[in-house]
Amino acid sequence: MKIVCLIKFIPDVEDFKYDHERNVLIREKMNQILNPEDAVAVAFALNVKKYYPSTTIELVSMGPQSIIPKLEELLRLDLDQATLITDLAFVGSDTYATSRIIAHYLTKHKFDLILTGTHTLDGDTSHVPAQIAQWLGLPHLSNVNSIHMNSIDLGRLELSVDHDQEIMSFAVSTPAVLSLQKEAPYKLPYVRFEDLNKDVSERLKMLSLKDFDLKREDVGFEGSKTKVIKTYAQTLNRQTKIEVTTDEAGIQTVYDYLKDKGFLK
Amino acid sequence: MKKILIYCDTKPEDLSLVGAVELMVDEEVSLTAIGYKEHCPSGNSVYDEILLIDDQKVMPYDTMNLCDLITENHKENKYDIILFPSTQLGRILAPRVAIALHVGLVADVTDLHLNHGIIEMIRPAYSGKLLAHIEALGTGPLMMSVRPGVFQPKAVQLKSTNIRELHGYQPKPSQIILLQTRLKPSTEDIRDSKILISGGGGVLEHFDHLEELATLLNAQVSASRRVVDSGLVSRRIQVGQSGKTVSPKLYIALGISGSVQHIEGLKNVETIIAVNTNKNAPICSLATLVVEGDAVDFIDKLSTKIKKNSLNFKEETQ
Ligand SMILES: Cc1cc2nc3c(=O)[nH]c(=O)nc-3n(C[C@H](O)[C@H](O)[C@H](O)COP(=O)(O)OP(=O)(O)OC[C@H]3O[C@@H](n4cnc5c(N)ncnc54)[C@H](O)[C@@H]3O)c2cc1C
Ligand SMILES: Nc1ncnc2c1ncn2[C@@H]1O[C@H](COP(=O)(O)O)[C@@H](O)[C@H]1O
Repeated sequence: MKIVCLIKFIPDVEDFKYDHERNVLIREKMNQILNPEDAVAVAFALNVKKYYPSTTIELVSMGPQSIIPKLEELLRLDLDQATLITDLAFVGSDTYATSRIIAHYLTKHKFDLILTGTHTLDGDTSHVPAQIAQWLGLPHLSNVNSIHMNSIDLGRLELSVDHDQEIMSFAVSTPAVLSLQKEAPYKLPYVRFEDLNKDVSERLKMLSLKDFDLKREDVGFEGSKTKVIKTYAQTLNRQTKIEVTTDEAGIQTVYDYLKDKGFLK
Repeated sequence: MKKILIYCDTKPEDLSLVGAVELMVDEEVSLTAIGYKEHCPSGNSVYDEILLIDDQKVMPYDTMNLCDLITENHKENKYDIILFPSTQLGRILAPRVAIALHVGLVADVTDLHLNHGIIEMIRPAYSGKLLAHIEALGTGPLMMSVRPGVFQPKAVQLKSTNIRELHGYQPKPSQIILLQTRLKPSTEDIRDSKILISGGGGVLEHFDHLEELATLLNAQVSASRRVVDSGLVSRRIQVGQSGKTVSPKLYIALGISGSVQHIEGLKNVETIIAVNTNKNAPICSLATLVVEGDAVDFIDKLSTKIKKNSLNFKEETQ
């Protein structure tokens, strides 16, 4: 079985920088982390490979070259290949353009399963996996919280989806796109000590616009179907408010307030 | 006249997507709802037309066929705007339809402006301190997803609704089969709670203290994403853009700064009490009562007072 994991490195939301002139996030300077749900997806793929050693796993990520060291760190696990789709021309791609570029790469390849996260912590649109599934004409489910290992060989995967108050079990024919959720019980292993500095560069492939049958105007800002017009800081309507501290008088004020409004009997 | 298609995936009486339409169209509209029977009104409603999907033919979650169904319907009727609720199904269906129609899609719109004929879709951006205005490019229907409960229509006008079942559609063999549905052990939903005791980064190490105050006030505990990300509590009790939109009567925010994404989850909350060491945190601007100080200290003192007074009360009445 061949598994493709779509992974995204996201800015550590705590220290973000934003280019207000061009309305883009400056990703180059920021500390990047692997989106936690994507880590869950890679961890599941590694589990499959343990069960079925003939499995091959390819990571595919679209992002800046600054994530190469992070990809190499992952490649020191039992992964077969990483493909980084990177070009300045891709900067500014919205989810339409992003999914189009990634899907374009995937159409040229054979695989049985595409694993993704349900959403990313930075964009949080959940668009990309469903959009890629549509470009490729594949079934898709999100919020997957477990995939039954025994069904992997059947050409029909059995899995559970966390649907609010319910757990729904499905059977899905492969190839398919499955988006895992953070609650799924798969954890990335640590790199073996002897592999910590292993050279993995021959398993890392880089692709730029010229490797795609896409035109400049199909990608980046031009290839996008949405545009950020402006961003601004939210102004909050100030309430007429009471200010107290946690001293006895303050606590009494809160207590009286709760009584007064009927929140306390 | 603008033609609008609304995908229904919540309770039939939820009109928040109709509320969104009011904000972006200033002319007459023709409203079509599409969805499964259990999510659509069964009689006259705000919609001009309701299209019912046959669950024997197309199962929910079979987003490939649902997408084809909606796309075909659009090709016949040429809608100007197509809206989806950001429910779990809406979130995987809307992106498919957007690709099928080759249009852009904006997720989780929280506000809308009509600016000289251009519809601006507004959602929080990145840091939690900024809001972004987004415009759709190109031709073709405007598409977005909207969180249920964010908008409410001002005027509700009942129409004589034409309800039709969609029989003509020939689905492709489904690649997804539902095997079974199991109810989770019942967990309370923070959306149903009248009082929420909510904790953030400021109470991370002492989150268990919240439970005490919640019990005394007959309330439920909720959290900001900072606490959820730390793995302490389940995402099910997260308030905000990537959590839930709540409307309790009272929201006690303990050590929560009040990022845009968090505040987005607070719709129609009557009273906010903010407890924060920094009285200039954004959440304090929204609060009726601001308590400057340590949140755990606050919980302990208030709990003690409540317990003491209820004891006194019991003694007096005995
Ligand atoms: C795409 C996206 C979606 C997001 N969705 C959500 C969402 O759904 N919900 C959400 O909450 N966030 C969401 N966020 C994250 C959001 O931007 C903030 O990072 C998060 O809300 C911060 O949580 P906080 O206010 O609890 O923590 P912090 O930012 O760490 O704030 C802690 C607050 O506690 C105060 N404090 C510190 N110590 C004490 C003490 N001892 N006693 C009292 N007060 C104290 C501090 O003054 C501060 O105001 C999202 C972010 C992104 C990028
Ligand atoms: N640039 C990207 N490169 C690779 N995978 C991506 C990228 N963007 C999104 N994804 C995948 O799509 C999932 C959902 O992302 P999003 O649509 O941004 O919320 C992520 O968890 C990834 O698996």
